[in-house]
Amino acid sequence: MDFDSARMIGAALAIGAGALGPGLGIGILGMGAMQALGRNPEARGPIMTNMILAIAFAEAVAIYALIVAILLVFVA
Amino acid sequence: MSAIKNFWARIGKKGRISVIAIVVLIVAGIGAVLFRIADPPHVVLPPEALVSIGGEVEHGEAVGGFPITNTMITAWITLIVLGLVGYFATRKMKIVPTGLQNIVEAAMETMINFVNSVAGEEKGRKFFPMFATIFLFVFANAWLALIPGFTSIGFWETIHEGEETTRVLLPLFRGANTDVNVPLALALVSFVFVEYWGLRYLGPRYLKKFVSLGTLFKAFGLIFRGKKAGLGMLGTGFIEAFVGFVEGLSELIRILSFTFRLFGNMTAGEILLGSMMFLIPWLVASIFYGLELFVGFVQALIFSGLTLVFVTMATTSHDEGHEAQAEHAGH
Repeated sequence: MDFDSARMIGAALAIGAGALGPGLGIGILGMGAMQALGRNPEARGPIMTNMILAIAFAEAVAIYALIVAILLVFVA
Repeated sequence: MSAIKNFWARIGKKGRISVIAIVVLIVAGIGAVLFRIADPPHVVLPPEALVSIGGEVEHGEAVGGFPITNTMITAWITLIVLGLVGYFATRKMKIVPTGLQNIVEAAMETMINFVNSVAGEEKGRKFFPMFATIFLFVFANAWLALIPGFTSIGFWETIHEGEETTRVLLPLFRGANTDVNVPLALALVSFVFVEYWGLRYLGPRYLKKFVSLGTLFKAFGLIFRGKKAGLGMLGTGFIEAFVGFVEGLSELIRILSFTFRLFGNMTAGEILLGSMMFLIPWLVASIFYGLELFVGFVQALIFSGLTLVFVTMATTSHDEGHEAQAEHAGH
């Protein structure tokens, strides 16, 4: 395998596997928020804010993977 | 034909404008796909230097001297814009605000309420300037970078690489947070801020969180006096010391995660817009444009909000924290 193909496969693996965890995490977060919303619809505002904050945490992990992929594709 | 005429008469002025806009967008989109107008994005992670004080610039890289990069220029523009908004909003202040003053006051009030709800009235007053500064800077920066012309106006550079010559655009403006140095600077500011207020509020007690050797020393004392209870305590002591070490480490790792969260989001947004412009110009790209507006706001809120949460956590001591939490849950 030459360098270029290894680089591309590495980038694909980085973002592909790296998006797996955050995807699951965001799904679980959304589920929790929806359940909370179903139980207590009046608390829509705080639930929304906290959900978005927590989702951003999970998303940050995907962003790290994305940076690695971008570095591999464009810079390495 | 009459159906179309009827429809045209019924939808009114605004409706006509939107119909024309949609048709133009579709035609332009199809045309742009047929006659490719956008180049694939040329991704450069380090910022491009435009001028170098006391040095030379070669293809966007400073050779010696102090480089003035395009991200720096954007950061300055952000400061100028924020300063001008502040100046014009407070120039002719009225008791019943109108126009710009009204908008700024509403934004300030929302931010103050948010800070107070997280940190409480008394601490909120002290943490507000920091929170607002970080929020406004990141927010203004993210939205400024979405103005058409950013990353598309610049100088063409011809690079000779052996036989091949490629033309590369050196953008004049580029979102400041796509340069890893700016988020890093903000993260360091936020780190210093957290440690400062932690020490200020709790004094030496603040450091106890990181260096918790009390139980370990006690255990050694007991062992030297020949008491068996010391051995059991030894394990707990080691664990506590390790927890303190991890606590200190997480404080440092926080800088890294702050930096890369903001840098990654902003850079990824820029590359995303560029790629979409290349894949399906205009029509699809504008949807992602809306997404980027949202991302800019959320990232600003997260950076400043997390700083606020961490500083609130640092200024509440352990025993106090439990009481505050119990009180919070009661609401």
